[in-house]
Amino acid sequence: MDSQMNELYGNNGPKQVHFSPYAFNGGTVLAVAGEDFAVVASDTRLSEGFSIHSRDTPKTYKLSDKTVLGSCGFHGDVLTLTKVIGARLKMFEHSHNKKMSTSSIAAMLSTMLYYKRFFPYYVYNIIGGIDDEGKGCVYSFDPVGSYEREAYRAGGSASSMLQPLLDNQIGFKNQEGATVVPLSKEKAVALVKDVFISAAERDIYTGDAIIVQVVTKDGVKTEQFPLRKD
Amino acid sequence: MSILDYNGAAIMAMKGKDCVAIAADRRFGVQAQTVSMDFDKIFEMGPHLYIGLPGLATDVQTVSQRLNFRLKMYELRENRKIKPKTFMSMVSNLLYERRFGPYFVEPVIAGLDPKTFQPFIASMDLIGCPMITDDFVVSGTCSEQMYGMCESLWEPNLEPEDLFETISQALMNAFDRDAVSGWGAVVYIIEKDKVTKRLLKTRMD
Amino acid sequence: MFLTRSEYDRGVNTFSPEGRLFQVEYAIEAIKLGSTAIGIQSSEGTVLAVEKRVTSPLIEPSSIEKIMEVDTHIGCAMSGLIADSRTLIDRARVEAQNHWFTYNERMSIESVTQAVSNLALAFGDDDAEPGAMSRPFGVALLFAGIDEKGPQLYHMDPSGTFIQYDAKAIGSGSEGAQQALQEVFHKSITLKEACKSALTILKQVMEEKLNSTNVELATVTPERNFHMFSKEELENVIKDI
Repeated sequence: MDSQMNELYGNNGPKQVHFSPYAFNGGTVLAVAGEDFAVVASDTRLSEGFSIHSRDTPKTYKLSDKTVLGSCGFHGDVLTLTKVIGARLKMFEHSHNKKMSTSSIAAMLSTMLYYKRFFPYYVYNIIGGIDDEGKGCVYSFDPVGSYEREAYRAGGSASSMLQPLLDNQIGFKNQEGATVVPLSKEKAVALVKDVFISAAERDIYTGDAIIVQVVTKDGVKTEQFPLRKD
Repeated sequence: MSILDYNGAAIMAMKGKDCVAIAADRRFGVQAQTVSMDFDKIFEMGPHLYIGLPGLATDVQTVSQRLNFRLKMYELRENRKIKPKTFMSMVSNLLYERRFGPYFVEPVIAGLDPKTFQPFIASMDLIGCPMITDDFVVSGTCSEQMYGMCESLWEPNLEPEDLFETISQALMNAFDRDAVSGWGAVVYIIEKDKVTKRLLKTRMD
Repeated sequence: MFLTRSEYDRGVNTFSPEGRLFQVEYAIEAIKLGSTAIGIQSSEGTVLAVEKRVTSPLIEPSSIEKIMEVDTHIGCAMSGLIADSRTLIDRARVEAQNHWFTYNERMSIESVTQAVSNLALAFGDDDAEPGAMSRPFGVALLFAGIDEKGPQLYHMDPSGTFIQYDAKAIGSGSEGAQQALQEVFHKSITLKEACKSALTILKQVMEEKLNSTNVELATVTPERNFHMFSKEELENVIKDI
């Protein structure tokens, strides 16, 4: 109708062309640091709106024997970002004759994200790994490169469901006189599974399966186990 | 920003074994500015019946008063205590009357049946669509966080003491990750022969 | 003077039939006109020592700088056309800071040297990187510092070639000094000994009498990072030689 009217009356005013370069593909990532290990986990669902594109797309990326990246948000940006990180890691190794440390990867990722400050990668990143002293470490990022080293962090679509539980169970928050016991690898993995089961109950963008990557000085071990698929 | 988030609130209710619990934060603020830390958001509607009203503070108080009015009229006319489920319908009805100019509250109801002492919890959206559950209900500015906590901490048939611990931990850890709720909390444990009200000391930031 | 000039002297990047790049070779020759600079690596840290040619009593000696800080953990000594070194040192400093900015760690001595040699080799290109010149740089550098691998000493010449050394001398007195270094150096040399030896050797090859105004001495150690010796500290070392 409108276009016919415009033709009829010659009303050809300015038209706005819409360009929307981002999508949200869901997914949740999580990393926990222990004394001499780190756990990085993600779900494997890839969705958009009310449809599920894939039930088997892990969002953890092994960057080296000591570092794993969890990355989710707009999957197109995730793919590009992880590819560029991979290239940068190889370039570093060739020019400096050594592997990049976890802290260096974190610093580099921060600059990479900030260089796209005004057309950002729509990606939530969390790095888990072993630091230069052999201790477990977690680095969390916002999409434009603000980063921080922490003991644990959840990111992505169900992060707000997971984070308070981690505060409580790992950070012993709101527990008066609780004995702070060092987190064991087994407890960390069990907890990660538990919180993902909870998230899958309520978040439609989290589900299908979970990938848990455990980083120790001996390398990265991967486990997978199912979540609800609805 | 939604009008529902203007003052900030976190309220949840949980079922236990022959008991129910309802808990809320105590903050009253205007967006980021905290104004007071002793604001009531849970209102007694009977010996075993409580309603939590998170949302726009002015509507919280108006709705609670109008509910009180209607509840008294009901109990005078019927000459008996109201059942939680009936009360839920009353709330729903009151809210739906304002379908196109709603009160900005999303209530949580918790209580025991006055005769059978059956536990009952329910929640509602701002225009009165009710939802009855068997486990827990949450409402407020940090509902995602509360869902995450409740989903992991809650289990069936909790005794009153354990229910208190569960709902307290669930609420506190949830609103600690929300900037506009917290600043103290209140927990009601409703049992057949007693109601226990406890004020929680929480982090005040 | 023009008798030995050949066709292959024209282009800076033209090989002669014997496979030589004359301009590069001449640039290396230019180093031998420069004042002597010495670097010694010890297990405790690295030492740099240079002679300053104060050719007139009217010169303000402190304005002659031949040892410079590249980063807190790297120093650099130079010999040859000092003016040319400014661009190279500047590049070294930028690269070191850029590495720290991007990777949040100290750049290794080898990597800094590599980065500078890339610039040193970029002469003659019409559209080369910023900072590159039409001719080879006429300066040789000694990079000394401490990184993950411990104390390191690298030498770089105008051809861009860089080699790691335990001890190295460059400049006019380099031949004699290198010989002396070979005799005096041993793997377990202490930092104090290294400082003393560096000045002793400088003293031997210098035309003027060595004193606290006509030499510079610097160390890079894990404790003090890059440290330039003050006049008093220098006199303390000199009185022992």
